[in-house]
Amino acid sequence: MEAHELVWGMDLGSREVKIVLLENGDIRQMESHETIAFYRACRQVDPGKLRIMDETIGPAQNPCYPVVTTGYGRNSLTFENSHQIPEIMAHALGARYLTGLSDFLLVDIGGQDSKVVLVENGKVVDFIMNDKCAASSGRYLENMARVLGFSVEELGRYYRDPVELDSTCAIFGESELIGKLVEGVPLPSLCAGVNFSVFRRIAPMLSRFSSEIVVLSGGVSRNEAIQHIIRENCKPRQVLVLPHGQFAGAIGCAHWYTHRV
Amino acid sequence: MPKIGITTTVPLEIILAAGYAPVDLNNLFMSRDSLHLVHQAEIQGFPRNLCAWIKGIYSVALQEGISQMVAVTQGDCSNTQALIEMLSLEGVRVIPFAYPYDRDEELLRLQMERFLKSLGCSWESALAMKERLDAIRLKVHRIDRMTWDEGVVSGFENHYYQVSCSDMQGDPESFEAQVDQFLDEICTRERMPEKIRLGFIGVPPIFTDLYSLVESLEGRIVFNEVQRQFSMPACGQGEDLVEQYRRYTYPYDVFARIADIREQLAVRRIDGLIHYVQSFCFHRLEDLIVRKSINLPVLTLEGDNPGRIDARTRIRIESFLQVLKERKGA
Repeated sequence: MEAHELVWGMDLGSREVKIVLLENGDIRQMESHETIAFYRACRQVDPGKLRIMDETIGPAQNPCYPVVTTGYGRNSLTFENSHQIPEIMAHALGARYLTGLSDFLLVDIGGQDSKVVLVENGKVVDFIMNDKCAASSGRYLENMARVLGFSVEELGRYYRDPVELDSTCAIFGESELIGKLVEGVPLPSLCAGVNFSVFRRIAPMLSRFSSEIVVLSGGVSRNEAIQHIIRENCKPRQVLVLPHGQFAGAIGCAHWYTHRV
Repeated sequence: MPKIGITTTVPLEIILAAGYAPVDLNNLFMSRDSLHLVHQAEIQGFPRNLCAWIKGIYSVALQEGISQMVAVTQGDCSNTQALIEMLSLEGVRVIPFAYPYDRDEELLRLQMERFLKSLGCSWESALAMKERLDAIRLKVHRIDRMTWDEGVVSGFENHYYQVSCSDMQGDPESFEAQVDQFLDEICTRERMPEKIRLGFIGVPPIFTDLYSLVESLEGRIVFNEVQRQFSMPACGQGEDLVEQYRRYTYPYDVFARIADIREQLAVRRIDGLIHYVQSFCFHRLEDLIVRKSINLPVLTLEGDNPGRIDARTRIRIESFLQVLKERKGA
């Protein structure tokens, strides 16, 4: 590795754009931007190509450092020295960097996608992603929190006495929740029901792989209730929650550059 | 020649020997403004959460003025059955055909006899037609072999020739001329580069750019399961028409398909499998069986409307190829 190597890692997700700056493998800067606001801060240069015009945003501050991108928008940004890597690879590398582990099952629950990735000997050996539906994702939790008049953080504190929710659809879940409210179900049970329904969608993906250690990442990994539900249901597997879990993809990007062959 | 619409492979020999031109409406739908055809059916009241193939076939059958259709009442899906009932309301003549689930020889023979009778054809002329079509199928098998063994045919070209065997494009003579020309063209080609060899199983994809996307990522699809079945891979060994359609795997239980898939995965040295499923299709459930029965990485892709691959599917394909490259050390 070169001395004082600085690399930008960017995960251009569906809900948030996560940016990190790694210096010699250490995190020097982390920022996240709401996706639409981020794209508004870019100006269209050529059809299909974007350049960051807001100089307060990550790579625009120091455009001479290399940039590695992943996520939905990875191919749309133009930089002199840029690389794109597949999303699963970025998240697995980020989780390896943040845990120091080589064998684990990564469960990443993001804004609209959920993924379960099996890492053995430091390599991705298999993965599964959610089907076409955005249920069991951050978007679903945001919608449900809004309906209940809670912040996403508050919603994420309840796991006791979950009410049974049939629909985990990010859109139609709303009318079911209102129906339960009308029936007089207490708010904590409603919140717990919402959190539990996320787990129910993840559980079939989790059961497909066996691994002693389960690592949680993605924005939804900050939800304490979901952490609790996964721990209760994953026994005897050990469950780790990544610090800065929502940045795992961006960190993995920068990490890839530092360790590329 | 008057046309007869088909929605899945049926004994083609009987249709052609009776003097009709078979038209596979799936292929016709994909060769037209497909998304527009789906929207047209939705305007007629077809539900949003219904297989897009059904909607496309409905619209294209009306647009092309198809006046008779074979209704496969067993061996395809119940949506197809309802679709043909819808078309019969529009005045389309319906000719039923059923594949017995357990591949019972007597029942299949009986079905064929009824089919022959309804089209006014004899066994002799149907068997003579089989001989004629088998000669073309054997040429298409050569294209398949030149895909996986010699590496000179692209995934899409392979898909195209195999899938066209379902109706021989309604005109076996001109289809054969096309196949001959293609075989001439490929004999001078160089082997195509590839790092990853993929198999594609399930119904043909509704995506228009799957094969080219895979190839741009250094992979190549060298096995098209159902399309290959359309070319009757086990034909030309002295079997009669009944036996030929008993060997054809698609309309029966999934286990015969799995046996065929496993055999081909080994022969073709496949690194990973794409299992394509259509949104709202019963085959979606068979993904569980595929994953339990096949000891290779499987990527399940779900397609809804016709068109180019969407961003979320692309992310999955890119990651899958990356994982396979890592596994292979490529």
